[in-house]
Amino acid sequence: MKKMIWFTTISILFVLFIVPGIMASAIKMIPAGDQPGYGPRRLSIYGIGELSQKFISKEKNLTAIGTTVKNPNLKNKKEVILNLYDANNNLIRKSILNGFNIGDGDFVKFVFEVVPDSLDKEYSFTLSSPTAAADEIIEVFLIDGPANGIIEYTFGEETHEGGIPLVTFHKPDSQWEVIRGVYSNWLSKLLS
Amino acid sequence: MKKLLFLAIFLRLAVSAFLFHPDIKTYNFQASFLRKGVVNIYSYLTANKANLPLKDEFVYFPLTYFVLGGYQATVSGVLGSGFDSWLNDAGASSVVNNPNIFKYLVVLKFPFLVLDILIAFVLLKYFKDKEKGEKAFTLWLFNPFTILIIYAFSNIDIFSVLLTLVAFLFIKREKLLQASVFLGIASCFKLYPLLFIPFLFLKGKNLKEKLVVSFIPVLILVIVILPFWSPAFVQSAFISGLTTRIFNPGFSIGFSESIIIGLFLLSGLFFYGWLFDKKINLFNYWIIFLFLIFSFSHFHIAWLLWIAPFLVILAVKIPSLSLPLFLLTTLAMVIPFFYQDRSMTISLFRIYTTWYNLLPTPFTVLQKLYDPYNFMSILHSALAGGALIVGYKIFKEEEKQ
Repeated sequence: MKKMIWFTTISILFVLFIVPGIMASAIKMIPAGDQPGYGPRRLSIYGIGELSQKFISKEKNLTAIGTTVKNPNLKNKKEVILNLYDANNNLIRKSILNGFNIGDGDFVKFVFEVVPDSLDKEYSFTLSSPTAAADEIIEVFLIDGPANGIIEYTFGEETHEGGIPLVTFHKPDSQWEVIRGVYSNWLSKLLS
Repeated sequence: MKKLLFLAIFLRLAVSAFLFHPDIKTYNFQASFLRKGVVNIYSYLTANKANLPLKDEFVYFPLTYFVLGGYQATVSGVLGSGFDSWLNDAGASSVVNNPNIFKYLVVLKFPFLVLDILIAFVLLKYFKDKEKGEKAFTLWLFNPFTILIIYAFSNIDIFSVLLTLVAFLFIKREKLLQASVFLGIASCFKLYPLLFIPFLFLKGKNLKEKLVVSFIPVLILVIVILPFWSPAFVQSAFISGLTTRIFNPGFSIGFSESIIIGLFLLSGLFFYGWLFDKKINLFNYWIIFLFLIFSFSHFHIAWLLWIAPFLVILAVKIPSLSLPLFLLTTLAMVIPFFYQDRSMTISLFRIYTTWYNLLPTPFTVLQKLYDPYNFMSILHSALAGGALIVGYKIFKEEEKQ
């Protein structure tokens, strides 16, 4: 019985205190925050119709942009392209996904090579599916109000404040940083 | 004993506070309507679905609603004023980032702790031999399986499990009438104890007793559910995952008919008991029946609690089975780990950080190397084979005595 008591105690403590660290070590990128809330308003993207979005990167090492994408009836099986531009409108990164891999309402991450000095810098990206026909649209949602770092969007030659409910992702300097972040987040919540 | 109990409670409180399965919030959100005077939760949820932040149906039986709702009303002072807004919060991140979440989880899971400790004491009393009783008590308190099944998955089935165990305490003392009452009350929380009625029927000494002990559980259940009987109740609670999964067709015999494996084996066990077994030991039939369920159905991890106290009794009664039972339990725990359901694994840890949303499930990871469904089939087949042999061994041991 003593063995079972030890086994149980160690297993439970392992699950509670060690497993979170092991899981943290598998995280390759960190979101800069939570996805902003969004309403039912959507923009349809296909053919030459593209969305342009300005935003500010809140962290260094920008490596992905994620948002919720609808692919009605999963009809879009064409390329969905995200082009990332710096403040001077120079194309700096490109990420291409196939609509085949985008479910209807999925949170989709466009991953690209790390942009190291991205902290507090303004960027813009375009989202398009140039070879998709009118019945192969993808749709993106619009946020209800202004959100931190999401500046403005342009669609059909009209520019408005706000934009899509995007989340930026950043590559951590090391896995220790992630592990430390997980435990410190948990402890600060526990001790608050 | 006191020190052990203290350690057991500490481990349980820690798991309660740090691991979060969304079910606990869902059923407590639903049970909170009792405080607002809603009696028929099934029709209320159906009628107000469009306006509610959480759209799920109440899948449990009425007694669960009243017990949870009543408990919530009792501890509402401890939970505080922010509790209702937490229950109504549909945001995946804000729910786990709420600074009060540890308090909410510990308070909401506290009834499980009471029932869990009660199970340990029932096991202590189950054996006449004090040493065996203490062994069962310790084994119940110190095994990682039940701690995780109850507290990580916020397992509401513990109400039925305790009542079923008490029923078996009466069965052991040859008090079938009391046992049937407890099985009836247990089935008012979850339907599965009713599946045991055929064996209770077999155990009755004469036709009158057979009929009475079979009728009582059904009567209790009918009395409790009758006021709620409606399409909403049938749809959300009565046609549950249990009935649909256990009675899933197995293999076709042509002309759209098929053999339902679960029912086929249950029937086989019943007729074996009737025609071959002169001195029926209901404990053996119950445990073998549960082995059959877990061997031949796609089970939810919460269901494993149904069998847990009986496995402890079995391991104490037949010590040579301890290791095989440990191995089979591990297998049974690992299978749901590979279901394509985040709340079985990764999501349980979201209190630590929502960054875990970025991690793939074990299913997705395995998919890169091997077909996960095939892998689960391998594990399930191994479980079924092992369980059948353990069942055979139980009958053989009984013959020796």
